[in-house]
Amino acid sequence: MLNKLATLAFISLFSCSSFIVTAEQTLPVLSGVGGDFSAMDTNGEAVEFNHYAGKVVVLAFGYTNCADICPFTLGYLKRLYGGLSANEQQKTRIIFVTIDPEYDTPGHLKSFIGHFNKDFVGLSGSQEQIDYIVSLYQAEYNRLSVLNIPTQNIRRVNPKLFADDEQAKEDNASLYSHTVTLYLIDKQGLTRSLEYTGTPVEQFIKKIQQLINE
Amino acid sequence: MNNLSMLKIVFIMLSVLMLASAGNSNADKQPNIETESFWIVLPPEVARHTAGYGIIKNTGEASDTLLKITSNAGAVMLHKTEIQSGKARMTHIPNIVIEAHSELVLKPMSFHLMFSDLSPVIFIDGSKATLFLEFEQSGIIKINILIRPNW
Ligand SMILES: [Cu+2]
Repeated sequence: MLNKLATLAFISLFSCSSFIVTAEQTLPVLSGVGGDFSAMDTNGEAVEFNHYAGKVVVLAFGYTNCADICPFTLGYLKRLYGGLSANEQQKTRIIFVTIDPEYDTPGHLKSFIGHFNKDFVGLSGSQEQIDYIVSLYQAEYNRLSVLNIPTQNIRRVNPKLFADDEQAKEDNASLYSHTVTLYLIDKQGLTRSLEYTGTPVEQFIKKIQQLINE
Repeated sequence: MNNLSMLKIVFIMLSVLMLASAGNSNADKQPNIETESFWIVLPPEVARHTAGYGIIKNTGEASDTLLKITSNAGAVMLHKTEIQSGKARMTHIPNIVIEAHSELVLKPMSFHLMFSDLSPVIFIDGSKATLFLEFEQSGIIKINILIRPNW
């Protein structure tokens, strides 16, 4: 299945670079990638993915402690969203699903995403909900082993006394490897294209516009 | 002045010349480390990790190895992000050789400084952090780098 996904990603990357001039591109439904799911929004309310039916969705996975990859991805999504007209933005939703729901509470996610664009949707949920979404999208994530980090670098330079468990948990923030695919989903909730921050923004915008106009 | 003392003087002069040129050729084979455009991302307040970017140049004639990085801003490591079949993973690079006349570029989705255990006193918009880059040949190079948001 993963190989299939990689092949699809490759084909979609290849096809967009070969047919830049083509006005309309065929964006076939990528069956087996995506579907309806339940999660929690940044206000702590339960939400169904079907709720976004009628909007074109760009969905990404990540986590707030990501440091290098996710801020870059959100910066890219900010440019992408900023390239749409107000009317097109109204018909589009950018959704960021955390793969670290233990650390990324709805409040954390809201504050993190708010730095990039207040319109962006952050989704968290229970570990089971997140794992289900990850499997639906044939995505992956792994906690990075602390064993990779030499002890001299773990040495605390800012020793803190933990007031409570919550504080202790916050300071145990983990790092992860995760899927960086950007899923382009049509108004019916069907995945139509797999993109990446390497996709030129103008090309991605054309695809979003095409799905808005379907 | 007799012939012998003339010879002595010539010999001393030659030795001095040889020493000087030997010193010169040694100096030619030194690495020369320079840093450029370094900055650290001011993380959203909920994040416990952040990244730093910039360029480390070796304009010298010999290679040098970056052995260790430390900072007053928190624990820091050299990391590299790599994308394999749609998945991004970060690896820790314990040390890295920078060849003569080459540079190590730290940028998003590639090599980066990975900060954790962030100092709340240092991580303020517009403030500066001190970074110590320890090289095998060039020793410790200290730089002050700006902390600023990336949004
Ligand atoms: Cu990193």
